[in-house]
Amino acid sequence: MTRTEFLLEMEEILGLNPGTLKGQEKLEDLENWDSTALVSLIAMAESRSNTEITLDQVVSCSTVADLLRLVPLEGQPN
Amino acid sequence: MKWELPKELKHPIDVATVLRKRRSLKRELLEQPSLVATRIAILGGSTTAEVKSMLEIFLLAHGIQPTFYESEYNRYSEDVIFENPELWEFKPEIVYLHTTWHNVSQFPELLEGDAEVEQRLREEVGRFEAIWEKIQSKLGALVIQNNFDLPSLRPLGNLEGSAVYGRIHFLMRLNAEFANFARTHSRFLIHDIQYLSAQVGLNAWFEPMYWYSFHTALSPTATVALAQSLAAMVKSVYGKSKKCLVLDLDNTLWGGVIGDDGVQGLVLGRDNPMGEAFQSFQRYAKQLQRRGVLLAVCSKNEPETAPLGFTHPDSILKLEDFSAFKANWNPKPDNIREIAFELNIGLDSFVFVDDNPAERALVAAQLPEVAVPEVGSDVTRYADVLEQERYFEVDKIVREDLSRGSYYSANVQRNVNQGKFKDYGEFLTSLEMTAEIAPFSPVYLERIAQLINKTNQFNLTTRRYTGAEVEAMAKDPQCLTLYGRLTDKFGDNGLVSVLIGRVARETLEIDVWLMSCRVLKREMELAMFDTLIEQCRARGVRKIIGVYIPTKKNGMVSGLYGELGFMTMDESTAGQQMWQYEVPQDYQAKSSHIHRTSSAESVASGRT
Repeated sequence: MTRTEFLLEMEEILGLNPGTLKGQEKLEDLENWDSTALVSLIAMAESRSNTEITLDQVVSCSTVADLLRLVPLEGQPN
Repeated sequence: MKWELPKELKHPIDVATVLRKRRSLKRELLEQPSLVATRIAILGGSTTAEVKSMLEIFLLAHGIQPTFYESEYNRYSEDVIFENPELWEFKPEIVYLHTTWHNVSQFPELLEGDAEVEQRLREEVGRFEAIWEKIQSKLGALVIQNNFDLPSLRPLGNLEGSAVYGRIHFLMRLNAEFANFARTHSRFLIHDIQYLSAQVGLNAWFEPMYWYSFHTALSPTATVALAQSLAAMVKSVYGKSKKCLVLDLDNTLWGGVIGDDGVQGLVLGRDNPMGEAFQSFQRYAKQLQRRGVLLAVCSKNEPETAPLGFTHPDSILKLEDFSAFKANWNPKPDNIREIAFELNIGLDSFVFVDDNPAERALVAAQLPEVAVPEVGSDVTRYADVLEQERYFEVDKIVREDLSRGSYYSANVQRNVNQGKFKDYGEFLTSLEMTAEIAPFSPVYLERIAQLINKTNQFNLTTRRYTGAEVEAMAKDPQCLTLYGRLTDKFGDNGLVSVLIGRVARETLEIDVWLMSCRVLKREMELAMFDTLIEQCRARGVRKIIGVYIPTKKNGMVSGLYGELGFMTMDESTAGQQMWQYEVPQDYQAKSSHIHRTSSAESVASGRT
């Protein structure tokens, strides 16, 4: 999964137009960032990256960039 | 372009995809025509945001558009007992109590005896019964109550299930008590999450981290499974469950090709593993048929050869189990359309099972209303796929359901006979029909409510009423109620027509008038009208107002009032046509082929 794909799928979860997220946004500022979005994001990230992501890891993230660091992305150092 | 169910919501469902796409799925689902609105209060013993979100998706997939009330976290009891005004103003049609084993307020102590445990059981059941009874008596809503899932941790090991003080033993007894309440109370349904959690698997059902973080009692996988299961129950309440299972024959109901292999060459029965699997699938279909699901055959075969397969000694299904049988070389979509016509039910009531992916694709493309599950070609999976899709969910089974297949089989016989008469009147006379038409009787209220909530085609107003409302109308002196049962020489068609009129001084307005399509063109509507006129004259009613509210499905009755001699009124609008009829002093009965009676004995002892 690439960074762009991750952002696109996160936008889909949040009901945002494609291209809205740049990566530096604070999660608390995102309008639809709630428990349902969080659960959906974990399910998405786990299924697309084959990596187990705990709720604790996601809860400790404060920006979209933090979330991106949880997932092994193609073309990105981990 | 015809509307189709998004593929993401068909079996097998990918939880991550549904969660990710729920917003776009909702938008897409809202585009479908003719959504039925409902109001559902979710009263949760845990966080319910995810349940609500997923339930909305699966209800929309069934054509039901919900508006929700959601209780605050763990306020399921207080909201009802203390009559939260928001809940009361919301006026729910359905109250769903989303509780799990976490909400049991007391478990037995270690080594407690029978008497102490019994006391705890009574208190716990009593706590829930107080909620249910208040919902039913004060809110008048249908109650859907989860029974209890089981905890995955067992400090007492296997003793949890057998010791009287074991938690699992206690939960099983609670579940039995809940089931007992459901058996003895109408408009109360148990949502069986004990089964559902076992199906999902207890380890996948509950995620401790979600519980500790959000007090969500279900994992995402469990949430999707629960929403799908719950939506199927609501669908059933609204009469949207499927009615007919259309089956292919070769390699679907038996292994091999009847035309090539002959009866003896079919793979069916306990002689080999696949034969046993085909037999098991037949047994499953037979079980569906026995509880009222219609079976039909749609097979590419010679018409003389195909039925022979059911003479196989190991065939569970027999020819008489099928209400329609199409074995020919015509395209299957054409055959299914003909079956729908013969059985008088809509294409959206059909499920088509065929091992051949090309046939499935053809039917799915040409008849998008028909459910075409991806059953694959492995017979061992067919029944499981049908179960997972929950096509045939049923909220109750009434006597009429048990003999439904025979109504339709008899209809086929009636249609065959029709060709032997010189005119239609002679055919109707030959049926030797007797109708029992009388005011609502307590014994029929469940069936009447079922018809009111399920009938779409011969239905003048498509107004839906709850069981409690029907009961109230039966007792209301301002209401004139009639039910109609029809019997003929081929059998009992059961209770097939309902009419409710509201009387104000010398005028009666017909609020509900419906009839099951299984007795179309039998003059039953005329018999109902004749009795209505008699009752009106007895009550001094001089004028009848008829209302026709057009829907996508009730076009067949658009001209009924005109045909009966009603005159259209100026108050008519596009959304509601008003008709009036002056009750004549010298009324001549319109039905001439049905013997009418108002007593049950006449029908019961009639020609069957």
